[in-house]
Amino acid sequence: MKEIMSNNNTTNISQARKAVEQLKMEAYMDRIKVSKAAADLLAYCDAHIGEDPLIIPVPASENPFREKKFFCTIL
Amino acid sequence: RREHPWEPGPQTPPPCLSLPASCRAKMATEGLHENETLASLKGEAESLKGRLEEERAKLHDVELHQVAERVEALGQFVMKTRRTLKGHGNKVLCMDWCKDKRRIVSSSQDGKVIVWDSFTTNKEHAVTMPCTWVMACAYAPSGCAIACGGLDNKCSVYPLTFDKNENMAAKKKSVAMHTNYLSACSFTNSDMQILTASGDGTCALWDVESGQLLQSFHGHGADVLCLDLAPSETGNTFVSGGCDKKAMVWDMRSGQCIQSFETHESDINSVRYYPSGDAFASGSDDATCRLYDLRADREVAIYSKESIIFGASSVDFSLSGRLLFGGYNDYTINVWDVLKGSRVSILFGHENRVSTLRVSPDGTAFCSGSWDHTLRIWA
Repeated sequence: MKEIMSNNNTTNISQARKAVEQLKMEAYMDRIKVSKAAADLLAYCDAHIGEDPLIIPVPASENPFREKKFFCTIL
Repeated sequence: RREHPWEPGPQTPPPCLSLPASCRAKMATEGLHENETLASLKGEAESLKGRLEEERAKLHDVELHQVAERVEALGQFVMKTRRTLKGHGNKVLCMDWCKDKRRIVSSSQDGKVIVWDSFTTNKEHAVTMPCTWVMACAYAPSGCAIACGGLDNKCSVYPLTFDKNENMAAKKKSVAMHTNYLSACSFTNSDMQILTASGDGTCALWDVESGQLLQSFHGHGADVLCLDLAPSETGNTFVSGGCDKKAMVWDMRSGQCIQSFETHESDINSVRYYPSGDAFASGSDDATCRLYDLRADREVAIYSKESIIFGASSVDFSLSGRLLFGGYNDYTINVWDVLKGSRVSILFGHENRVSTLRVSPDGTAFCSGSWDHTLRIWA
């Protein structure tokens, strides 16, 4: 019984130590300002929006789902 | 009531009162020592959490939607169901696109896994799993195999063959073994490795050929429900979401959690990287979708409306990252302007919960799967 109690306590302590190490790493990581992060997200969208077929639709003939052609398989 | 001067005070009850006093005394000594260490570690953890929040708050100089005010608004959307894939006999739980932008694999509650040609709506392959609730399925990058699993606690790989005489189930290979249900799976950059998420609270990386466990990821406090791999240019990381309301970003090589986010108020059902790899979106049972920026290390947008009260089951971005599609448990698909935070469209069509949603590899369409037994292709 005592051994089990000791083991539980040891496990709890090692878990608590791991949690502290993890939090230290997360707390001290390098971060950038939201304004910079937001600007980068905007820049990425802007650079790629022209090629986004769901925003700037390509002609129906080039989108296999929009064109009215019928697909047949040879049996 | 204090028996000895060094026994813990009333706020820390002694471990066991039924043992003799000498035993209890010895245990109390050890307990006291360990309780003090445990208490001081917990105190340190709390103060570090406070520090984490302070550091994050220092950089919170503006909101994303404010910066996005200068961006042109999106026009009207005409998105309709272009194909309906019928054939599953029960709830569709998961789907994935093949890199050829045409084939789709889907899995359902009744154990069936089907491979479709989404252009023609024809079924090309079908296999019945030995379990029900096949919650996860994925297409291999080569297009030559699929992976799936669910209540069997495993992830199995099936090579796809066009030999009509060959039984697909015969070549089945068991790769992953968890101790609870498989909730998500994904091949990495090649057919050789699979990443899995499970109800057992862990994620794991497996070698397909040998079935060997290459790395395991521990940290979630409850079932892991979803995962997504970072776009290959961004390096070896992935994000997972779980019933502990946390989204966690992992280093695939070390098994270490790099960052974690806990702002959702309920289970996170779906996570998906923004195409640049610098952010990811999540969908949750708290009826919101959220955007987290990895370099700012915080939530930067919430996509919600008072009228939306049902959970979001599945999210994905359009090719440019400007649109976020969310499938919800109220049978609808909401389309969000990622930058401005507003809803641009709501899509009706499914007759039950939307359970899974993925944009095609070239962004020309997206596919949704539902508890109404069907999949729909929208464009």
